[in-house]
Amino acid sequence: MAEFVQLLFNGLVAGSIFGMAALGISLVYSVLHLVNFAAGDFLTLGAFTTFYLATSQHLPFVLAVILSMVIGVIVSLILEFILWRRIRRSGAGMLALFLVASGIAFILRQSIALTFGSDSRRFDLDQLTTYEFLGAQIARLQLIVLLCASIAITGIALFIKKSNIGKDMRAYADNASLAAVSGINVDRVIIATWTISGAYGALAGVFQGTVQGQFTNGMGLDLLLAILAAVVLGTIGDAYGALIGGFVLGVVMDLSTWDALAGGIPSTYKPVVGFAVLVIVLLFKPEGIFGVRARKI
Amino acid sequence: MTAILQPGFWVFILTMSGIYGIFTLGLQVQYGVGGILNFGHVGMMALSSYTMAILVIAHGFNFWVAAASGVAVAALGGAFLGLTTLRLRGDYFSIVSIAFSEIVRYVIFNSDGLTGGAQGSLAIMPIGDAYPSYTDTWDTILYWIRDHLTPILGEIADRDMAMGILVWITFGILLFIVSRVERTSWARVLRATREDDDVPSALGKNVFRFRLQAVIIGSIIGGIAGIYWALQVSLLSPDDFLTIVTFYAWMILILSGATKVKGLAIAAIFFGFLYGGTRFFTFWPFSFFDASQRSYMRIMIIGIVLIVLMIRRPQGIFGKREEMVLE
Repeated sequence: MAEFVQLLFNGLVAGSIFGMAALGISLVYSVLHLVNFAAGDFLTLGAFTTFYLATSQHLPFVLAVILSMVIGVIVSLILEFILWRRIRRSGAGMLALFLVASGIAFILRQSIALTFGSDSRRFDLDQLTTYEFLGAQIARLQLIVLLCASIAITGIALFIKKSNIGKDMRAYADNASLAAVSGINVDRVIIATWTISGAYGALAGVFQGTVQGQFTNGMGLDLLLAILAAVVLGTIGDAYGALIGGFVLGVVMDLSTWDALAGGIPSTYKPVVGFAVLVIVLLFKPEGIFGVRARKI
Repeated sequence: MTAILQPGFWVFILTMSGIYGIFTLGLQVQYGVGGILNFGHVGMMALSSYTMAILVIAHGFNFWVAAASGVAVAALGGAFLGLTTLRLRGDYFSIVSIAFSEIVRYVIFNSDGLTGGAQGSLAIMPIGDAYPSYTDTWDTILYWIRDHLTPILGEIADRDMAMGILVWITFGILLFIVSRVERTSWARVLRATREDDDVPSALGKNVFRFRLQAVIIGSIIGGIAGIYWALQVSLLSPDDFLTIVTFYAWMILILSGATKVKGLAIAAIFFGFLYGGTRFFTFWPFSFFDASQRSYMRIMIIGIVLIVLMIRRPQGIFGKREEMVLE
């Protein structure tokens, strides 16, 4: 029982991080029809800028995190203005968008490697305090991450649901030309999308770095697989689906190592479980959990 | 600077270009003809090379049998990928295909007993006291070629040059076969599915089966590239099969114009210089950076080339713009 509670809790923490990162990818896809392969490296960027500001520049940790989110937003917006806008206007297809996104991923990752080297880093946080709950050991930092992530996720879900920009975003994602004709400010929608994706990417990166303890410049890339699986699981382009997909995947991946399940699988194979879940779901429901089956003509 | 003057340097670049060229040819069948966005192509290379290495080292198989088995496993990998996910929308397929190749690498990395894990093929348990090597049969061929080249070329002829020659002969034969295949009615149907599913289906063609065949053929060619890769590096490591290798192939494919095979060889050589050549950029201003920093910059350059290419010339050097703008 203690092990189950432990794994469930670990899974929820991992799932909240997957969900936040998946949300950004799904929103960007719904508005801009581009799969942002660079999203994983935005997580790494967030973790490393926070490390630099908090540890090297001795800023308070919370301030460093907020500044890192701002930097994530700025980098996303710069890329929008100098690259994505131009590529959209040239009428580029799916392949061009894929390749440009992966080009950005390479440049971002190697810039981080060039600046910070290949050593692993850790935040200057209290990694040791744990609480006991139903026999499970729950680290204070994990608890804080789960709480903050839950607040951030609820906040963004409400924002998309209730705010004017959120409504505009959903309208634009649903039918771009109709939304544009109805007087929705398209530029504002796109900027809001990149802002959410940049800020939440950086925050998810900080959370992952905190939970992992140590992180290197490959952190985001290692996570990208699970994040993309969460995006597809929740139906690509569906923001709420991405959040739920993240939690489902996080919990399933951690619970798969449970001893009671025929000994559980070795924890190094957790990503394989994530992939297997994805393939099985797609076999039965090719449009993802929340997708609507396209009408066959 | 002196490295660039050595003939060995040029042989190395050309051999690598040839292997990457064969590898890209597999993608060419899938995307150039079938419009399939496969981002997990490197997984097929990993499957074939590791299968071959394990069969030779741990089970004492004949090299040719092992190599054929390796290519067959790559074909099975392609069949698995296609059967499970090819019915999905294009963007779903590309995401799942990346996941596929990463999982293959992940399993190789973590299955120490079977693949040698992080230490690579060096840690595969050989039969008896033999050194864990799978290149012996191939080396006898390479030395035989070298011995016949020496009277003609003199001192320059060596094992690496023989390897380069065999790689390029294979690449040439495969290029010829694929360019023939692309003129068949099979390829015409596939090309039609690339633009629109409904018309070929209405004409009674099973679109899924055509796409599946394209993925399997592409995987076989990728598997052949994997065997050559294994022979060229002589020690396999899971890190040889990072997702970035698939993107190298995409870059070559885009450079060549994607829909025609004729530019592929030149694009592959161009890539070989960009990738291998920059290794020797040790003079000013590059001397300011150390070796690991230069390796970071090399991948950055490839990222920049990909982006600039997609903005400036999405049709590549040889391609037609109209054929590339279509999704």
